[in-house]
Formats: sequence, structure tokens, C-alpha cells
Amino acid sequence: MQNGKDSFYMALRARLAAMNPERTTMLRGAVRPGILVEEAEATFSQLPSDVFVLRWLGLGTDSNLEPAMMAAECEITYQTCGCQSFGGLDRGRALSAMDEELLAILQPFSTPKLSYMATPPAPMLTQVFWDEPLFGPVVTQRDRLSRSVKVMVYSYQEQGE
Amino acid sequence: MAAGWFSAAAPVTRRVRAYFAPVNRVAQVPVIFDPSEQGRFDLNAPPAPWMNLGWIQGFTRTASSKSGAVMTGIPAATLEQVRESLDAQISFQFLSWTKLTMALASGSQHMNLLVPASGSAASPDGAQAAAAVAIQSGSTATSIVLTAADAAKFTAGCMVAVDVDYTGQTGFLASPISGAYVRQSLRDIDYIRRVTFNVALVSDMTHAGLLLAEPLPGGIPSAGAKLQAVAGFVDRLGGSFYQEWSGLFVMEGSQGERVIFHYPRLQTMTDAEELPVPLALKEKGSLQRVLLKAQFRALPTTDLLDGDRVLCYRSFLPASKALV
Repeated sequence: MQNGKDSFYMALRARLAAMNPERTTMLRGAVRPGILVEEAEATFSQLPSDVFVLRWLGLGTDSNLEPAMMAAECEITYQTCGCQSFGGLDRGRALSAMDEELLAILQPFSTPKLSYMATPPAPMLTQVFWDEPLFGPVVTQRDRLSRSVKVMVYSYQEQGE
Repeated sequence: MAAGWFSAAAPVTRRVRAYFAPVNRVAQVPVIFDPSEQGRFDLNAPPAPWMNLGWIQGFTRTASSKSGAVMTGIPAATLEQVRESLDAQISFQFLSWTKLTMALASGSQHMNLLVPASGSAASPDGAQAAAAVAIQSGSTATSIVLTAADAAKFTAGCMVAVDVDYTGQTGFLASPISGAYVRQSLRDIDYIRRVTFNVALVSDMTHAGLLLAEPLPGGIPSAGAKLQAVAGFVDRLGGSFYQEWSGLFVMEGSQGERVIFHYPRLQTMTDAEELPVPLALKEKGSLQRVLLKAQFRALPTTDLLDGDRVLCYRSFLPASKALV
């Protein structure tokens, strides 16, 4: 499933960079699109604001199929305090903007599967695809608004995986 | 890297897309779809004359054809099978209300409510209409040329119907999409514009006339066509006209494969019905989305390849690099 997870993240990252190049984050000394995979970074004491953070949760498989299908649940969390220049009074709007961005980058609901073990990434044979997102409620913590969204991501196991 | 192909599992689809094209009722000629040439068409831009009716819900195919056994011997055993009857139906719900989806989901003719003339007597399917205006030469499917005086009677945002005057014809009316069948002559000069599918929204006004937000389904207005404003649409329970269209339904799989169902002839088989669906998740709240229920019977056509009579063609275009 690792290739599926990688392909899903990279597709979202490329779509976000194309749609809103201004949403960036500074990570390990580099400016990157504002989306990251939690398990692939150093641990955070506090999740960064105004960034989409992907966290992989459950895993399922349907081995009756040929090829076997894997399903991984991805939780995408994001939070914002709004802009300093507005004193945070725009935090609701900022969260709405992130809701819309996430909905937009999740479409279309599929992307070609690539192996990122190789450089450059090697195209595989199948597509990674996912279900409609399930948006959780907004959580308010002092001046911080956050939301988590769950998406089920599917991938066929290819020969050699 | 692994082999250059894979075994594809059963298609995983999200939803079904519907397209319809008008059957030539006078000549009884359906619209043919060739999956070998057109199967990979852009789902947002179907090949002419197919019209995009958007995503549908609850698409169900029911084959009711019957086979019988030819028995022989003692004790009798099946020698061979014969097809005794040919019948199939499909049903689904349209997710939007438009002129075309309403018409297809109604069991009879579907009419435009023409904007009435001032002071005209009330009528359940629209009062006597305000006088039609003549369309000038140079019009296209998306721009209607009018005289300045006539253009001043319309505004951006209004709906219009475009077709010729009714002059006592009988048989199938409106062209190229038949909107009604008339057995005996009527008196209403606007009758064809009441039943025509040539309707559109006016997006803008120009010095030369009207710009339309979408092309007229019938294309360039025919000679002698006139234009009237439309207030809405109406259909009736009852009547004797059956809508007949060619239907195309596309399921796109997660791996890029396509399943295409082509019904050359579909006739609406039930009266107008709606399906209310709760809008909120878990059925909370009282808001409901009202879907149009549609049910069709497939009629046979003769396949010129071998002379067999068929109701539907199911095509499968596999995913790239999938084993077949």
C-alpha cells in the first residue's frame, strides 16, 4: 500500500501547488507546498497551522480479488488561527478556504500509481482511487479552529509490491 | 519492475452518466452510438447529437425477455432453446430538473408555459401567449437575430422557445425533436412552440438580438421560426404521446475502464413521479431533495450486421494494460 499512499499524497500535493501556490510551509529548511504526511516528518509538539496534515489510520484488504485490493483510511487534519493582520478575526473564513481547497484537490478521485522508490518515480499499471471525503465538525481551541476529514484510499496490489 | 500488464478486478464505479438523443419519430430512425469510434469521448462533451443529462442515481436494468425450451423425446428433454419474447426496462432518478429531464421523466408530452398575452383567459397548460416575434436571417444555435423593436421585448435571464408557427399539421410535431403527436388539426398558432424542445436561457442582449446561454437543441433556427418567452414548463398525467429517445449510459471505472449501455430506442413507460430524498445525513431535518423518477421500456431495432433484433448494446472498454 506504500506506493498507493505515496501516490495519493503526491497527487494532492501537486494539485495544491497548482491551485494555491501561496499555501506553503517551511519544513527542514525548505519551502514546500502546505501539505505533509505526519509519519514522514519529525514528530510535532503542535501540528503546524494553515497546512494539511495527512495521517494514515486503518488498513483493510480484499484478498478474494485478483489482484488484491488494499484500502487505507487517511485522516487529513488542518487548523488555522486566521491572519495576524486581522487579529485572527478571519479564522472562520480561513478554515472555509481550506475546506474548499481540500475538496478541490481531492477531485478527480483518482491518480496514476507511481513507485517513489525509484528516481524519477516509476509509473505503475493501475490507478489509486478514493471515496468521497467525510468532513468532521470544527473543533475550537482558544483562537484555533481545526477540522479533520477522513478519506478511504484504495489501491490494487501489483506484481512485485 | 513487474510485468507490463495486470489482471483487472470488476469495475469500481462511483456513478452513472446519462446522455440522450432524439429518435427521428417520423422516419423511426434511432441515433447510433459506435463505441469503437466514440467510446472514449469526453464525458463533459458528448458527440453530437447526444445531449448530456448529467449524473443519475439508482440506475437499474431489468431484462424481462423470456426463453422457452423446445422439448423432445420420452422422457422429454430440452433439445434447444428459443427466445419467446424480447423486453427490457431501465429505471433511475434524474438529479436535476431541466426541460429535458422533466420531459423524459414524464409519461406524456412536455410543454413550455409561454408567457401569456395581457388579459388572456386562464388555462392549465398556459393561457393564450403573447405574440411571437419573427427571427431574422443570420441567427445561429446560440444567437438569435431580431429587429430592434422585437429585441426590446426580452431581457437577459428570460427563457425563450424557438420554432415555427402551427398551421394545421397533424402527426409528429416540432423538429428535429418531436414534442407531440397530433391526430386532428388544432387552432393554437403557438402549439409547436408549446411543445418544442428548442428552448434556452437568454444570457445577454446585443444590438442585433439575443445571446443564448446554451445552444438550441435543434441547432440553427429553421426558416420561418419565431420566438416567444417562456415562463416555465408543464406536463400532464394522461395523454397518448410517448417520448422516444436513444439513451446512452456510461459507467467509468476506477482504472479508466468504461461500461457503456446503448439503448437505441427508449420509450417513457410511467407517468410523472417524484422521489423525495432527505437532504441531511441520518435523515435529520425536514429538507428534501425532489428527484425525478424515470422508467423506460426498450424497443427493438434491427442490427444491420446480422439482422437480429436487439434492445441494448453493452460495451466494455478495458483499462489500459489490463489483461482481457
